[in-house]
Amino acid sequence: MSDDCRTSQQYCDAHQHDDHQSGIGGPLAEIVRAKASRRTFIKGVIASGATLGATGYLFRTGEAQARTVGTVERLVSLKVNGQVRRVDVLPHETLANTLRYKLGLTGTKLSCDRGECGACTVMVGDTAIYSCTTLTHSVADKEITTVEGVAKNGQLHAVQKAFIEEIGPQCGFCTPGQVMSAVALLKANPHPTIEEARRAMSGNLCRCGSYEQYLAGVMRAAKGG
Amino acid sequence: MADYKLVGKNFTPPDMVAKVTGAAKYSEDFRAEGMLHAKLLLSPMPHGRVRNIDTSAALKMKGVVAIITPDDVPQFPPPVDPILYREPNFAGAPILAVAAESEEIAAAAIEAIKVDIEQLKHVVDPLDSLFPGGINAFTGGNVANVRLPLQTIKWTAKDFQGFDQGKMPMGKPAEQWAYGDLEAGFKKAKVIIERSFLTAGTSHHSMEPRSAMAYWQNGKVYLHGSLQSQSFAVPNVARLCGVKPQDVVFIAEFCGGGFGSKGNPYPVMAIPAHLSKKANGRPVMMRISREEEYLVGSGRAGFQGWAKIGFAENGRITAMDIFVVQDNGPNMGFWDFRNCGHTAQLLYQPEAMRWRGTAVLTNTPPRGPQRGPGENQTSMAFEPLIDEGARQLGIDRLAVRRINAPDNDGFEGHDAKGKLTSAFLKDALAKGGELFKWEEKKQLSGKRNGSKVIGVGIGTAFHAGGSNGFDGIVRILPDGKLYIHSGAGNLGTYSYAATSRVAAEVLGYDWNNVVIVRGRTDRHLPWMIGQFGSNTAYTASRANYVAAVDAKNKLLEIASKQLGGAPGDYDLKNEKVVHKTDASKSMSFADAAKKAIELGGKFSGKELPADINPLTKASATALAGSGLVGVAKDKLPKRGLVPALVAGFCMIELDTETGEFEIKDYLGVADCGTVLHPLGLQTQMHGGAMMGFGLATTERIVYDHALGLPANVQFDQSKPPTYLDMPTSFHWSAAEKPDRDNPVGVKGVGEPIEGAAAAALLNAISDALGGHYFHRTPVVRDMIVNALAKRPQSYRALQANTM
Amino acid sequence: MMIKDVIPGFELYKPKTVADAVALLDQHKKDAWKLAGGNDSLSWFKDRIKRPKVVVDLSGIAEMKGVKQTADGIEIGALTTLSEIENNPVVKKSYRLLADAAGKVASPQIRNNGTIGGNVSQDARCWYYRSGLPCYRAGGNTCFADTPEGQNREHALFDANRCVAVSQSDMAPTMIALDAKMVVRSAKGERVVAAEEYFIGPRIDITHMTQLQPEDLLVAIRIPKGWAGARFYFEKVTDRRSWDFPLVNVAAALKTDAGGVVQEARVAVGGVSCTPRRITVAEEAVKGKKVDQELAQLAGQTSTRGARPLNYNHFKIPLMANLVMRSVRDAKA
Repeated sequence: MSDDCRTSQQYCDAHQHDDHQSGIGGPLAEIVRAKASRRTFIKGVIASGATLGATGYLFRTGEAQARTVGTVERLVSLKVNGQVRRVDVLPHETLANTLRYKLGLTGTKLSCDRGECGACTVMVGDTAIYSCTTLTHSVADKEITTVEGVAKNGQLHAVQKAFIEEIGPQCGFCTPGQVMSAVALLKANPHPTIEEARRAMSGNLCRCGSYEQYLAGVMRAAKGG
Repeated sequence: MADYKLVGKNFTPPDMVAKVTGAAKYSEDFRAEGMLHAKLLLSPMPHGRVRNIDTSAALKMKGVVAIITPDDVPQFPPPVDPILYREPNFAGAPILAVAAESEEIAAAAIEAIKVDIEQLKHVVDPLDSLFPGGINAFTGGNVANVRLPLQTIKWTAKDFQGFDQGKMPMGKPAEQWAYGDLEAGFKKAKVIIERSFLTAGTSHHSMEPRSAMAYWQNGKVYLHGSLQSQSFAVPNVARLCGVKPQDVVFIAEFCGGGFGSKGNPYPVMAIPAHLSKKANGRPVMMRISREEEYLVGSGRAGFQGWAKIGFAENGRITAMDIFVVQDNGPNMGFWDFRNCGHTAQLLYQPEAMRWRGTAVLTNTPPRGPQRGPGENQTSMAFEPLIDEGARQLGIDRLAVRRINAPDNDGFEGHDAKGKLTSAFLKDALAKGGELFKWEEKKQLSGKRNGSKVIGVGIGTAFHAGGSNGFDGIVRILPDGKLYIHSGAGNLGTYSYAATSRVAAEVLGYDWNNVVIVRGRTDRHLPWMIGQFGSNTAYTASRANYVAAVDAKNKLLEIASKQLGGAPGDYDLKNEKVVHKTDASKSMSFADAAKKAIELGGKFSGKELPADINPLTKASATALAGSGLVGVAKDKLPKRGLVPALVAGFCMIELDTETGEFEIKDYLGVADCGTVLHPLGLQTQMHGGAMMGFGLATTERIVYDHALGLPANVQFDQSKPPTYLDMPTSFHWSAAEKPDRDNPVGVKGVGEPIEGAAAAALLNAISDALGGHYFHRTPVVRDMIVNALAKRPQSYRALQANTM
Repeated sequence: MMIKDVIPGFELYKPKTVADAVALLDQHKKDAWKLAGGNDSLSWFKDRIKRPKVVVDLSGIAEMKGVKQTADGIEIGALTTLSEIENNPVVKKSYRLLADAAGKVASPQIRNNGTIGGNVSQDARCWYYRSGLPCYRAGGNTCFADTPEGQNREHALFDANRCVAVSQSDMAPTMIALDAKMVVRSAKGERVVAAEEYFIGPRIDITHMTQLQPEDLLVAIRIPKGWAGARFYFEKVTDRRSWDFPLVNVAAALKTDAGGVVQEARVAVGGVSCTPRRITVAEEAVKGKKVDQELAQLAGQTSTRGARPLNYNHFKIPLMANLVMRSVRDAKA
């Protein structure tokens, strides 16, 4: 790992090069050098794709991009479940993969990975979308909520409680996506009719066929749990 | 045990919170330090022979760590499904696998590998393969199945006479059986229905693709896999990984659906284990994509067949002659074709019967058991024939089924002499008829509302619903709690929990003081049958029962030792052993557990019954000395086959201008004995019916015959039903008559729920069309539109795997 | 087959203005891929069939979003989501046809970030083409669907010219029915194209569904006020009620006088040819008349003249006839 990112092949985002300069002496120098080496350590880690306590990244690190209007910064601050998470996101990385492989949030599932089943549903702002057909960079400045962020202060959301009471989930694989669609629905429409609820949930597939139970759960949660 | 406290009552299964919070981990959710990512190289052609594999360019790539080819994995004699294919016999067959630092590197490596495949001829339609001069899907033959050795069968020109009139060719079958006097039976029939039929194969398309993660540690392989079953998996996981059973730790706490395709360990799950081995034990994650899940995740066998049914004046079936050819896929497949005969026999109890069947290989995705394998295709093919018979006789369609349905004196088997443990299909039909208001609703048949018309239909289905001879382990520990070791997997039916309740019931435990131990084979689980075949409720409840009874006996004995008298002087009450007449003599379960440890021997599991399975023995041995151990093999009586039976009632409104229909009302009624877990049963009754609607009207395997490539791989083309395809009014009920050979009267039921719904819907569609029968499933939009427009259909009669 | 999973790398740009976007497209031309909602694009990438070097993510361009009222009607930014269109009060009030169609596309999540621009510009769904086979549309020199055994139930009845893929967009027929104008920008400037010219068939360019060139950007769709408040009809017939593309769909707009006599009509059908098909014969049949069942049936039946069915799609003939019939019979204000 180079101590000077200007020699690295990796694209360096805007930062102060000043503290890389040698020649500063005394205690200040130590602090400066310490800062510099820590920053380059982080950059170097991103550059080499080594693990950051989690697991290997999905993608090989890309080439430096020429500076043009509209280029994306690799390092983003993603707002997920109320927390800001700093993460290196490759240009072609989907939100589902960032969540699952870089942020340890495996609740969001990959079932078809083609926008045809809803297992990967998350909320961007208040809107339910498929995280598998969304590039992370497309929503880098938005608030993202996953199934892990739905319960608050150890209390299950009304939807989660209702799904348990009605035994909505069978195998459970579609459940996180169902929870997210239901949460999004009730946020926009706290008292839906059953037809409105059915329609709102219709972007979630359940191979076990638990639609009747999930719907009962949504209506129960709408009534106040 | 009358007056149950737990059996028949609703409860919250322990894994629900994890499911709704996203905490439940499936195979692809696991992460490990240094984990590699695996990708598969899939055959681009439907049939070929691998001549050469050149991995040199891939091995040079940075980040490529290991590559395995067919030479690196255990080989099995054809037609057993290989792990990696030397003779890929379907497009998508995995030829090799790469493990790399990232998925992207692995994918790039796959593209850099040069595989020289000699293209061989392929065949997609079983009848094409049976035709004289027809192609074999495999070099070793064109017919095979479990206990049907790989062989070549070709029929003759005479056998194919009349094929252009839609007549089913019927040459030499691979197998057959018969009973009674068929000729006499047809002679006394008032009406004879004779039809050729086809049911399409369908992909299982479980929500969770069968990703797997594996690593090695100290000579053991740790495999995170997606499987319906748990302890049953161990021997086959070991075989696939090339190790001994004791060197396997299999982790499957959750399974995202299987529907039969993950009942037993399957070859592809061993790939990460072999890659990991080559990578010095480093963890390898194999993420299976949806397309791969379609290709290697197995599908239902297709049927092309013929049936001739003789009905007496009152509708009783006097004779039945069946011929079925099964689309077996490229490998071993499953015995759907045999189940066809069994199902028809069970549902209709024909006085005389013949069944002939053959399973033919095709270069299409491998087939395996799918929810009611053979049984549900049979319901779809035969229930319309029952309707046709009733129509011609002028008798009611409910009545014709009631008269033929099995009851407790029903029979099964090739000699028609096998017994049933119970059968209450007549009751289910009667109950359903009332709840659905069949008499009223059938008057609506043909009623118009603008361009819409109403149709009503009934369907019945069967599957064997129970096995026996498996083991249970329960423990009472010094903390006073009951630990039930469940060898059952967790595929989403909650049967692992519902059947555990039986053990708690025997011991009178408060459910809050019960812990179910499951999910990983290193938690010392008993030998239990796999979670397939609708058997778990019956089989595991029996095993848990006998283990609990063993614990109960030990409790009573310990109390008598400790407090005096005989075991028979004591009872269990509120987690204490109490003297029947002297209240001062009592001992808590916790204390009994401590005493069990002190006494050792059989009480603490140090001495074990001789007849338990070796895997149970190993588990119990590991647990010995920890508390009071109840362990036993289920040797309870079982007089015959355990039949799970379902009746379905359906009303639709069909738009005659577009061919679209709405299911206005659906009711399923189960004969599953005592209802063990009402909400659990509800999930199956609704979920299975949804699957049935898809099986009947939207799902199928389609191939381009010339190219041998699949047309409808992803969900948007394979079309599993959605929220908006639900019935408006959706109900269920149960006959609730206990089975005679289960301690709590329970039977399994998961599979026939689907078949009954599929058949009922098909019959409702035909009813809406004024009695037009398709004899081909799925009945897709085009078929309905063409029928309404009185135009010919597009497909050639009996052509398989086509639109 | 080999491998059809995992997106190969690309460069990503997120311009904030149309000007910046157009500059990028001009710079990269054939190397650039325009990304709107991503519902179609990402599947191509994951299947490793389309591998652009550069992806231009349009989702940050605010000026391409929203429904504006103008002197001549309304202007809809190409990046307006289908959910927005479904729920927009102006659209619902005066151009309900758009809302009806938008609300039936795919699934709620797809409508939430899927855009009208993406929807009308979507690529063909032919399964042979989508599986990566080297057909005409993919730049090769054959068609796999139009063969003696081709599995072609969803394919074209009309205007096949070597390629038999169809337009399966739900919004596309509404563009024809409402005389929409497509506003296209490039480095060369802006041009406004009639919807009927926007969609092209294989005769013009067998590899593209629309006339958009690599440097072109569809920025807005203008709906003239002429059809505001007309009687509308939209229907799509599918296999399943969610997600599915239409087997056949129909969009109709009818202007009637107080007595119910048709002054002017537009009928367009999707799923039967490579472009949404305008049904002039039905429009002419109902003009100047009050539509009753008999007239509607005539309109429907004659609409299918010239259909050349393939192996598995002849059901589309009665289906199309019935949908055209319903569109003129059941159109409502």
